Parts: sequence; C-alpha cells; structure tokens
Amino acid sequence: MAPVSIVSRAAMRAAAAPARAVRALTTSTALQGSSSSTFESPFKGESKAAKVPDFGKYMSKAPPSTNMLFSYFMVGTMGAITAAGAKSTIQEFLKNMSASADVLAMAKVEVDLNAIPEGKNVIIKWRGKPVFIRHRTPAEIEEANKVNVANLRDPETDADRVKKPEWLVMLGVCTHLGCVPIGEAGDYGGWFCPCHGSHYDISGRIRKGPAPLNLEIPLYEFPEEGKLVIG
Amino acid sequence: MSALYNLLFRNNTAFVGAVFAGAFAFELAYDNGMDKVWDKINKGRQWKDIRHKYVEAEE
Repeated sequence: MAPVSIVSRAAMRAAAAPARAVRALTTSTALQGSSSSTFESPFKGESKAAKVPDFGKYMSKAPPSTNMLFSYFMVGTMGAITAAGAKSTIQEFLKNMSASADVLAMAKVEVDLNAIPEGKNVIIKWRGKPVFIRHRTPAEIEEANKVNVANLRDPETDADRVKKPEWLVMLGVCTHLGCVPIGEAGDYGGWFCPCHGSHYDISGRIRKGPAPLNLEIPLYEFPEEGKLVIG
Repeated sequence: MSALYNLLFRNNTAFVGAVFAGAFAFELAYDNGMDKVWDKINKGRQWKDIRHKYVEAEE
C-alpha cells in the first residue's frame, strides 16, 4: 500500500506545480501594478507574519542620483581610510624589523692603520664580532699567492680576499662552530682554531681541520691613506 | 553632482584611483595632525623643546 500512496502523492505534486508557478507569476505582476499597501501572500491559510509591510514611508525622498553619490562617497571614504590604515600597519611592522639607531651607530668602525706595524695582527670589535686586521709582510703576500688554489677546500685566490695585499681584513669567527682562532699559529703560519683544530693560512683560507669555509671577509674600504673603515 | 559621479564613480579605475589618492592625502593629513596633537600635549617635555638649554653652549 505504501509505495502506491507515495507515487500518487508525487503525481499530484507534479500536477500542482505548473499551476502554482502560474499563480506566482500573476501575483508578482499584480503586486507591481496594484497600489495596495501590503503584499498579499498567494498561499491560503498563512499567518500574518508572512505579510510584508509597505516600506514606502521609510524610503528616501531624495532623487536616486543623490543617494548613489552619497553611497559611493561613503564607500570610497571608508576604502581610503582602510587603505591608509593597512599601509600604515605594514609600514610600521616592517620598520620594527629594521636596524635601530644604536645598532646603526655601531655598524661602522674606523681603524687607524698607521698604528699597526708590518707583520702584526690587530683584533678589533665590529658589530659584536672580532675582526682580524693583519699588516702582511711581502714574504707573506708571496706565500699566500704561491698556494695552488685548485687544491683548496674553499678555492679563493688571495687577490679575491684582499683589496690591498698588505692589509688582510677578515671576521675572526671560525667557520666551523664560531670560535675565535688564534693568530700566528697553526701549520700554515696563519690562524689556528683551538676548539676543533682548524688551520687557516696567511690569507685566512681553511687548509686543515673541520671548518668548511675560509674566514669571512667583511665589507671594508680605505677612504684615505692610513685609514680603514669596516662596515 | 552628476559631473562628480561621472568623473569619479562611474569608472571603477577612476574610483579606485581616487580612493588611493584620497588615502595618500588622508594619511599625510592624519599623521601631521596627530604629531601636532602629540607635540601640544607634551609641550615642554620633549628634547626638541629643551634642547636649547643644553646644546647652546657647545655651538
């Protein structure tokens, strides 16, 4: 019995559907045409809650162009304020990440090279790290240039590592684990790291031990004779 | 009125352009205005207000 009743109900619904569509069409046209103050629901037996009141009393009396202008003006103004706020937020956030004034003040170090005799090391502090400055003798420069670059672990010619051959400037941080190597020590007459036994030659290149890279060269320049600026 | 509408709001490119231009102008005005307010509230307490008492001797 049950399947038959479901089928019959479906058939009845199908038959009713076009009729309802037609009625909906007619009511919508009637709504536009009629001057009645409320919308009459086409469905019988519905509560009063389904009645849509007339909002004509609340509608703007101003012409549509004025309303449109005002709406777009408000949208544009809010957009502009939002854009300014977003830009400001991002800008302040990025500014927060840049170097502060005290860091920038420490960023450059000036060294008087006349105080460093030939064949001597000087260690200065730059940005919290030691920097080795060596006034190399002609013999040491020759020794640094004699090395066969192809056999090195980190191949770099001595000319790539210095701006003036007599002045070797490099960061005094071992490229292995960051210890500070000892000057004028090691098997190659350069630097020796006591932590794990890395040997650097007179150009600061790694020759023996666990360190993977040559000692790092900071940015530096010679603004005038006898002056060195690191950073 | 409708001239303004036709100029700024009808074309989306012009509208967005006007919004960004307005944002730029607004930001300038707002930042300067807020700086003025801050300076007014903290008048006499900032370094630029008391600098002349200390630096004059060195100059």
